[in-house]
Amino acid sequence: MPLNINLQQILLHWMNLAILTGGLYFLLYKPVKQFMDKRSAYYQELEDRAADGLAQAERLKAEAQAKLEAADDEIHDERMRAQQAASDAAQEQLAQAEEQARRIVAKAQAEAEQSKERALRESQREMRELAAKAAKKLAAKPGADFFDQFLDLTEGGGAHEGR
Amino acid sequence: MKQHKRGLAVCLAAAVLLFIAALLAGSPGPSESVQEAMRDAVLHGTGQVSLLGLMTVNPGMISALLVTAFLLLCAALVRIFAIPRFQYRPGRLQLLLEELVGLFDNMAKSNSPHRSRFLGAYLFAAGSYIFVGTLSELLGLQAVTVHGHPITLPAPLSDVNAAIAMGTLSYLVILSGGIASNGLGGVGKTLKEFSLPISMSFRLFGALLSGLLVTELVYYYVALSFVLPVVVGVLFTLLHALIQTYVLTMLTALYYGEVSEPSPQKGKKKKLRAENA
Repeated sequence: MPLNINLQQILLHWMNLAILTGGLYFLLYKPVKQFMDKRSAYYQELEDRAADGLAQAERLKAEAQAKLEAADDEIHDERMRAQQAASDAAQEQLAQAEEQARRIVAKAQAEAEQSKERALRESQREMRELAAKAAKKLAAKPGADFFDQFLDLTEGGGAHEGR
Repeated sequence: MKQHKRGLAVCLAAAVLLFIAALLAGSPGPSESVQEAMRDAVLHGTGQVSLLGLMTVNPGMISALLVTAFLLLCAALVRIFAIPRFQYRPGRLQLLLEELVGLFDNMAKSNSPHRSRFLGAYLFAAGSYIFVGTLSELLGLQAVTVHGHPITLPAPLSDVNAAIAMGTLSYLVILSGGIASNGLGGVGKTLKEFSLPISMSFRLFGALLSGLLVTELVYYYVALSFVLPVVVGVLFTLLHALIQTYVLTMLTALYYGEVSEPSPQKGKKKKLRAENA
């Protein structure tokens, strides 16, 4: 064969290469690759776990945020309710005060009316008594004009009252 | 500082003495002309070595077996002593091994995303073989030919049979990827690249052989055996070990990815089946 090409030696080289490939695969390539894969899987697992932890923390944060918002809403509602209650109480007190004032005014008016009526009755009674007294005196003085005596008496009585 | 200067002076003195000694000793006289040496390096017509007394083979075959034995021994030692002590925070050796495995694994995954498990293992083995095999010529291991002459074992892939074996095996791996993914369609896709095994084989052979020939040429003349081998022997060997490893593994991964890509019709059929199911 040209160039000293020898089929037998080519086959021997093939055998040599096949043994080398198989040997290196089982002795070196496969174990090293397995170890590398194992380490990759380990770090992947760590990464996954960290990602899970992160996701859980995010979820907890969201839950806490939601709770905070709910608490804020509740506080707002409570405040509104308290304000409403205070406002209602103030209105009620105002209404009570107005009612009381109205009662006081009405009572005062009634009392004033009663006083007025009493004074009127008193003055009428006094007038009647004066009239009766004057009539008695007139009846006691003979010859006198009744009408003039009455007027004198009443003028004297008024002066007496003015004093 | 003084110690450094003294060491440098000793080295220089030793180099000068060796140079003078080499010149004085002279060459035993070329047993063969440079043309014969070159031809022998390529064809191994007279430099055959006995393989355990069973048959005569090119010295590249012996190199290949030694490289394989060395690699498997290292792998076994690593498997027994290093891998059980691997930790999640890697040390230097673990980092190196993980980088190596990860390099070929990523190459397989990025070039052949549909089917990369076997490809990664093959690329790892082929890459290690080419790299270590090419570097093995730096050791200058000696063997004895069937004619009783000593011979320096070359890089395995500077033997045309080894290069053809590597090229054709890579082609078969590509073909297997095509068949596994696309059946007969994959065979068609792979056979379309019929020149691939030849180009792969002879690219490797040419690259490794050129290095060997330049080294042979340099060492053929005593006067060139100083300083120059550091560049030619070490740096060039390192460089083309890296380049050839990268080229063959990358080509294999690229073609494997191309032929193992599921054809659109097959994908459509699968989709239809899934929809019907």
